[in-house]
Amino acid sequence: MAIVKFDNVSRIYTSGDHELRALDHVSFTLDEGKFVVILGPSGAGKSTLLNLLGGLDSPSEGTITVSGSDISKLTDNELADYRASTVGFVFQFYNLIPTLTVYENVKLVSEISENALGAKDMIGKVGLLDHLNNFPSELSGGEQQRISIARALCKNPKILLCDEPTGALDSETGVMVLKLLLDMAKNYGKTIVIVTHNQNIAKMADVVIRVKNGKIRDITEQENPLSADEVEW
Amino acid sequence: MLLRKLLRTAWSYKAQFISMIIMMTLGIGIFLGFNMEWKTIEYDVGNFFEQTKYADYRLYSETGFTKDDLEKIASIDGVDAATRYLSVNLEIKGDSKKALALDVSENYTVSQFTLMDGDGYDENGDGIWLSDKFAKLNDIRIGDTLTLEFQGLDISGKVAGLIKSGEHMICLADSNQVMPDFNTFGFAYISPAKLGEIIRERALNTVKDELKKAGVPDEMINEQAEKMLTDEALAEAADKAFLQINLLSALEKSELEDAVKEKLGKTLMVVPKEDHAVYKEAMGEATEGKAMGSILPVLFLAIAILTMVTTMHRISTQEKTQIGVLKALGFKNRTILLHYSFYGLFIGVVGAALGGVLGYFVCKMVMSENGMMGTYFDMPDWSAATPAFCYPIVAGTVLLLALISFLSVRVQLRGTAADALRPYTPKKMKKSVLEKLPFFSGMSFSTKWNLRDLMRHKSRFAMTLVGIVGCMILLVGGLGMRDTMAGFLDLLDNGISHYATKVNIVENAEREKVDKLIADLDGDWESYSGISIDGYTATLDIVCNENGRFRIIDENNKDIDLRDDGVYLCLRLADRAKIGEYIEFSPYGGEEAYRVKVVGYNRSIMTESVTMTDKYADELGIKYSVSAVYTNKDSSEIPSSELISGKQDKRQLMDSFQSFVSIMDSMVFILVVAAVILGIVVLYNLGIMSYVERSRELATLKVLGFRNKKIGQLLISQNIWLTVIGVILGLPAGLGTLYWMLTALAGEYEMKLMLGPLTYSVSILLTFSVSLLVGWMVARKNKKIDMVEALKNTE
Ligand SMILES: Nc1ncnc2c1ncn2[C@@H]1O[C@H](COP(=O)(O)OP(=O)(O)OP(=O)(O)O)[C@@H](O)[C@H]1O
Ligand SMILES: [Mg+2]
Repeated sequence: MAIVKFDNVSRIYTSGDHELRALDHVSFTLDEGKFVVILGPSGAGKSTLLNLLGGLDSPSEGTITVSGSDISKLTDNELADYRASTVGFVFQFYNLIPTLTVYENVKLVSEISENALGAKDMIGKVGLLDHLNNFPSELSGGEQQRISIARALCKNPKILLCDEPTGALDSETGVMVLKLLLDMAKNYGKTIVIVTHNQNIAKMADVVIRVKNGKIRDITEQENPLSADEVEW
Repeated sequence: MLLRKLLRTAWSYKAQFISMIIMMTLGIGIFLGFNMEWKTIEYDVGNFFEQTKYADYRLYSETGFTKDDLEKIASIDGVDAATRYLSVNLEIKGDSKKALALDVSENYTVSQFTLMDGDGYDENGDGIWLSDKFAKLNDIRIGDTLTLEFQGLDISGKVAGLIKSGEHMICLADSNQVMPDFNTFGFAYISPAKLGEIIRERALNTVKDELKKAGVPDEMINEQAEKMLTDEALAEAADKAFLQINLLSALEKSELEDAVKEKLGKTLMVVPKEDHAVYKEAMGEATEGKAMGSILPVLFLAIAILTMVTTMHRISTQEKTQIGVLKALGFKNRTILLHYSFYGLFIGVVGAALGGVLGYFVCKMVMSENGMMGTYFDMPDWSAATPAFCYPIVAGTVLLLALISFLSVRVQLRGTAADALRPYTPKKMKKSVLEKLPFFSGMSFSTKWNLRDLMRHKSRFAMTLVGIVGCMILLVGGLGMRDTMAGFLDLLDNGISHYATKVNIVENAEREKVDKLIADLDGDWESYSGISIDGYTATLDIVCNENGRFRIIDENNKDIDLRDDGVYLCLRLADRAKIGEYIEFSPYGGEEAYRVKVVGYNRSIMTESVTMTDKYADELGIKYSVSAVYTNKDSSEIPSSELISGKQDKRQLMDSFQSFVSIMDSMVFILVVAAVILGIVVLYNLGIMSYVERSRELATLKVLGFRNKKIGQLLISQNIWLTVIGVILGLPAGLGTLYWMLTALAGEYEMKLMLGPLTYSVSILLTFSVSLLVGWMVARKNKKIDMVEALKNTE
């Protein structure tokens, strides 16, 4: 069943009379519970696509349907509610609130999400119960990213969106974080979309979308994706 | 290129730049304005006094001065000039509501006037030189005839010239009047020759009356009287008229007193100009100005400079990467430093220039002919003057700004280009003492977030508090001053004075006649005279208020039922003796000394006084004469008499206060406006700073799905918190400042803080409104946060 549907979506940046199509008439659908990887060179429009899907940005043309509702023409408040209930973000830079502790950073989402999961539980799942009362600045990068994953999942969203989640980590930590991300997504049955430069990750995906110059070059459905242990890092 | 960058950078920080320029303008402007005000008073008044030869000393004698006395005094070493002087308050004939102080400076070497229009001084002239303001308001022109009533005698003459005089620069009928009212009271000069004629006529009339009583037939009286009026008799009458000698001298008061005693063989009342109402009030205004100038502007300037230090520092940290880029590109440190110091210099110079203009207008608003002091001072020249110390302070502030930007950029320039390229990172979050509080963990996210944010950015926190406290001080100070003034007037009007007219009695009136007058008027009376308590000058107030026409009140404004076995000290003299202790005083010019028991304290609004009942005074055997009678009769119902030197309507007096109140109102208005601008600018500046510092966190919250409104509340709740703390600190600080200002400002009045509930609520509400308005202005920006943009950068 399609959970995401992009229909002729364009995102146009204009500066003066100069027009830049970061996304150019993009159409595709994604099924629920799938692991999707978006690949493409720098400047291709990967982040733009993810941000549109996440409701951080609105398309200039076309419609985006998520779980049957059109999110392309929502008001600011409706978009906020959409983000709160439907999507969870993991960024390259972890974007934790520096003035809240680890626990509070995760617990924070229960302020906006009605079906939030237990914060302590989640932190336990990412293995950081010992650091409950530390501030983000007292954690390593990998640990911070794990907290950010816990926070994204704690909202109990339908879709998990990750923009280069391992981009700022060394490869070993990156793999560790990635495995965790995938495990969790699988366990909770989430649809997960990851933007990455890492070809290895793509081997594990159910669907690989290649983007170039704002257009989708191809969409590959992989019948038998490798498991994380089978991939050579 | 660098210049283009300079402008573009300035543009991207326009909110901060504009607010810094406003702060600087306000800081410098208020500082200059308030300091120019008192300097201008000192300067212009000083010039005017010099120009009109305002007397340094006034000698008073109840029996008058002879020509011989004058010569002796003029011959004292160190006395530069001296003249016999007369100044009496006379009603205009046919209009008992209008009066003039009529002055004669016998040899016109001291206490002259400045001619504004018409003929100059002529010692033999027959005309009257009239106050130009009185003439204008009463539509009197040069050449018009003016008639004054002098103890049943008409003094008539043509207006020869229109004048101003140092002696009457603050033109008040007596010590009860607070604000000049040229509509009802002015002053005039006549020549000694004209005075001579008047004295002669009066003497003649007296002789004629006596002859008539003696039964001399009418047709012979005139001739007979002329014969009887000898030169000696005339001279004696003239001597009695001149109760005052005015002199110019640089001698000390005690030196002059000794010299006078030696020359004349008796102690005289020697009043230095410092004790003369005009000089005292004028210099009092200057002192008040200094007091105002030393607290408000310092507060303003300090807040301005502090805000700018914080802002500059923030800008330079935000510019850190830019600076790194410039450095990596190969620009010399010196060039970069110069480049950034220019911002500070630019803000400083523009702010100082605008501040200078603002200061001039603030000064002019108070000190100009049409300004607030224009109704108080009557003088010809109103040119503005600036205290010398202001120039280095303004220059210093400008340089300080440049230095601040220089220093904050230099910090960023330290180390290699690579170091500089690494962006500024705020302090690492650490657990503060707050976390240890038991209830901390139970607090909501927004509370924790805001509290930690404050702990993390202490300087911003402190600055915001300073802004709110400053705003609060100005509001409480301004509005409280007004309340206190209104309360003071109400007390004077309804608490103390229960009469319709105050009748002033001539100095050497016969007691029997006065008693009859008191009975006729069904009045209460009062006698005041100068006394010395161990060398300290005060007023002895002997009262008889059986009818309750006026009241003596205690410090809680309650009536005191006066006892007949002791004296009451006014609160300002309270530290001289405890209740039950004794004080000793002696009347001016007398040798006697009285030891009396203090039985209570009273509030004396106008004078520093020792109060006793007439019964007690009689028991002690103090010699006194009635100074004023208070009656319920309307002033028009009271026939003029030789006993009466003047009448004063209570309503008219209270009305004259009204203009004082309107001055107060405009000052309060300035303060309130200044407070609101100050509050808005400081808080907005800091709000933007806090917003920029937290924009990434705010974007994160947005991404997580927080609605704009909720994030706005988060931002505003920090403002509310700070405002609550600021108000709690600001209220006592404001009251303290107000108290301090009132003691400095109103030294001559007994003031008590009287703040109405409205003042408290308006101050608090206004402070909150400012804070919420700014919070809202900042929170509104939150809508425009571009989440994608904000999250792109590294932490
Ligand atoms: N705010 C913006 N204004 C103008 N152009 C933009 C803006 N954001 C992105 N672009 C342009 O849109 C295009 C797509 O950008 P996008 O961030 O989606 O690239 P990307 O595929 O994520 O690249 P990368 O792998 O480097 O992160 C780029 O050419 C970029 O220049
Ligand atoms: Mg990207």
